[in-house]
Amino acid sequence: MAYNFDFSVVPHSLPFVWQGFKFSLGLTLTAMTGGIALGTLLALARLSGGRLFGSLATIYVDTLRSIPLVMVILWFFLLAPLFFTSITPERSAYITFTLFEAAFYCEIIRAGIQSISKGQINAAYAIGMSYWQAMANVILPQAFRNMLPILFTQTIVLFQDTSLVYAIGASDLLHTAEATGKTFNRPVEMYLFSALIYFAICFTLSTVVKRLQQHIAIIR
Amino acid sequence: MITIQNVSKWYGSFQVLTDCTTSISKGEVVVVCGPSGSGKSTLIKCVNGLEPIQQGNIMVNGTAIHDPKTDLPKLRAHVGMVFQHFELFPHMSIIRNLTIGQVKVLNRGEDEARDRGLKLLDRVGLKAHANKFPGEMSGGQQQRVAIARALSMDPICMLFDEPTSALDPEMINEVLDVMVELAHEGMTMMVVTHEMGFARKVANRVVFMDQGKIVEDAAKEEFFGQPRSERAQQFLSKILHH
Amino acid sequence: MNYHWNWGVFFQQVSSSDETFLQWMLIGLGWTLAVSLCAWIIALVLGSIVGTLRTAPNRVLATIATAWVELFRNIPILVQLILWFFVVPELLPDDWSRWVKQDMPAKEFITATIALGLFTSSRVAEQVRAGIQSMSRGQRSAGLAMGFTTTQTYRYVILPMAFRIIIPPLTSEFMNTFKNSAVSFAIGVWDLTFVSRQMVEESGGQVIETLTAATVLYFLCAFAANRLMRVIERRSRVPGLIVAH
Repeated sequence: MAYNFDFSVVPHSLPFVWQGFKFSLGLTLTAMTGGIALGTLLALARLSGGRLFGSLATIYVDTLRSIPLVMVILWFFLLAPLFFTSITPERSAYITFTLFEAAFYCEIIRAGIQSISKGQINAAYAIGMSYWQAMANVILPQAFRNMLPILFTQTIVLFQDTSLVYAIGASDLLHTAEATGKTFNRPVEMYLFSALIYFAICFTLSTVVKRLQQHIAIIR
Repeated sequence: MITIQNVSKWYGSFQVLTDCTTSISKGEVVVVCGPSGSGKSTLIKCVNGLEPIQQGNIMVNGTAIHDPKTDLPKLRAHVGMVFQHFELFPHMSIIRNLTIGQVKVLNRGEDEARDRGLKLLDRVGLKAHANKFPGEMSGGQQQRVAIARALSMDPICMLFDEPTSALDPEMINEVLDVMVELAHEGMTMMVVTHEMGFARKVANRVVFMDQGKIVEDAAKEEFFGQPRSERAQQFLSKILHH
Repeated sequence: MNYHWNWGVFFQQVSSSDETFLQWMLIGLGWTLAVSLCAWIIALVLGSIVGTLRTAPNRVLATIATAWVELFRNIPILVQLILWFFVVPELLPDDWSRWVKQDMPAKEFITATIALGLFTSSRVAEQVRAGIQSMSRGQRSAGLAMGFTTTQTYRYVILPMAFRIIIPPLTSEFMNTFKNSAVSFAIGVWDLTFVSRQMVEESGGQVIETLTAATVLYFLCAFAANRLMRVIERRSRVPGLIVAH
């Protein structure tokens, strides 16, 4: 092979890549918390049986789950100038990801809530709790404990998806790695380096999730 | 035909079989009984090598089962096994269940296999169901098919692992009748079961196991009439008076 | 909101050639379908092999299969695509490297198909593995007890049922393939996403019309995939068994 590998660029790139990584991480955490919060509301709307909110939630969730994330990112970023005077790719990404991931978290949470036996909510009603009290004090705490591994797995997927902000040029891990590679004329090494970072993080986290699953399984 | 010598087996650090020794001669029917957890199902699964053993040896028709050089598939082709949960292949029709082993393992022709399969189905009274699927049949019917499937391989001996334990009471007899007939025809059988009526009718010997050990191994009359060990006595009194 | 609506834009001609925007959209759809379907076939074949190997008694094969799955599962699809397009050609021997970079026809399409195919194969492998492991041990025992070798047991007993069991999750994965194909725009494949971006620029900012059309087309792809899997499921159903284990 004709290519001469020179990985010395990697240490030089670290300050820049670190900025990009911080963005990816921040995006992941924001979308995770926002997504779970919004997702819980969507799940409750779908489960409550109320026709208006239930249908709206269903349309929202089914639509977002059927189209590519890249398209949603583009949609939002290209439409944003109509509603806001100016918006950076980064801020657009925060909003887009939160709204998009909420659809996925909603389905996980909905499945989690439905997996709690009906007997539990009946018992809560029998003590005199209202629907919302029962949800908050009895159902949701149990559901979340069961769903923890799957929620984490979705977050790992979310972290990988943050690389898609490439489409709008936001400065995430992939973008900064690529830019650094072009600057130092070592794109190949930097691409490999970014792949390695993604792999290391995702593999470690998924191993942690597996342990968590075994731990929960034992307790049950 | 089957010799089990000083067999011990562990699952991790838990010992499930301790120094088991017994044998079954050609034409004999041996019933293995005992409380749950006594290791009887485990023992019978060791006989055709479905489960490994850590100590001792098992020989079937002169072949050592747990010798790494033994061609296990070849041996298993001649040892029939009937499972507690029938384990018919759900994606194949009844007749296909009976012919697949003959064709793929014994290399018989499709037509010959089909003929033999239909004859065996007739023998267990299910010829009319040849083209149905296991999911469409009752437990008792499935288990009779399972016996026919094992017989389709012309086995030298048959192993039964609690064949009636998963059946509704009204279906137990139709399966036991087939097994009794098989015994009368001289088939060598090792049967793990709770059905003491069956044992009384056709068994030559009864082996009683408790907590992984063979506690008693006696001729039928002796076992039922004068059980030597206390454990066996307790077991018999509980099981025969319910 | 200052937006100039123009739903007729699809029938307008693109300035640089005499194709209409509608034709552009259809070209985009065509490439999306091509990449997705070819990648799905690769994913099914490789994924089935790898998923089965993960359950194999042979430790070496099982470990290789696990490594395969972990490698393609823990790197984002976009990064994998970029690696295949920019990095892999550099790792090849000189002649091959030159050919791939300059002379290979449909370079973008082939790279995208391989990248998407391998990425999806790791997910298919996991489904196959789950399907095999969800079957009762008794079925495996029954096959072995009859004298089948391990290979025969897999072929006649385990795999036929395992594949029927995993048709629902496999359907999701098939639908996902169409969505994931969208990343191929990054290396210049003229898929729906690429064409959408071009069209927004060329049409002077008709964002809503363009993206609506693209969204509808993606929807249709997912819908068609879902229908196809339903047909397969109905055809392969075993009488008397509502696949439940």
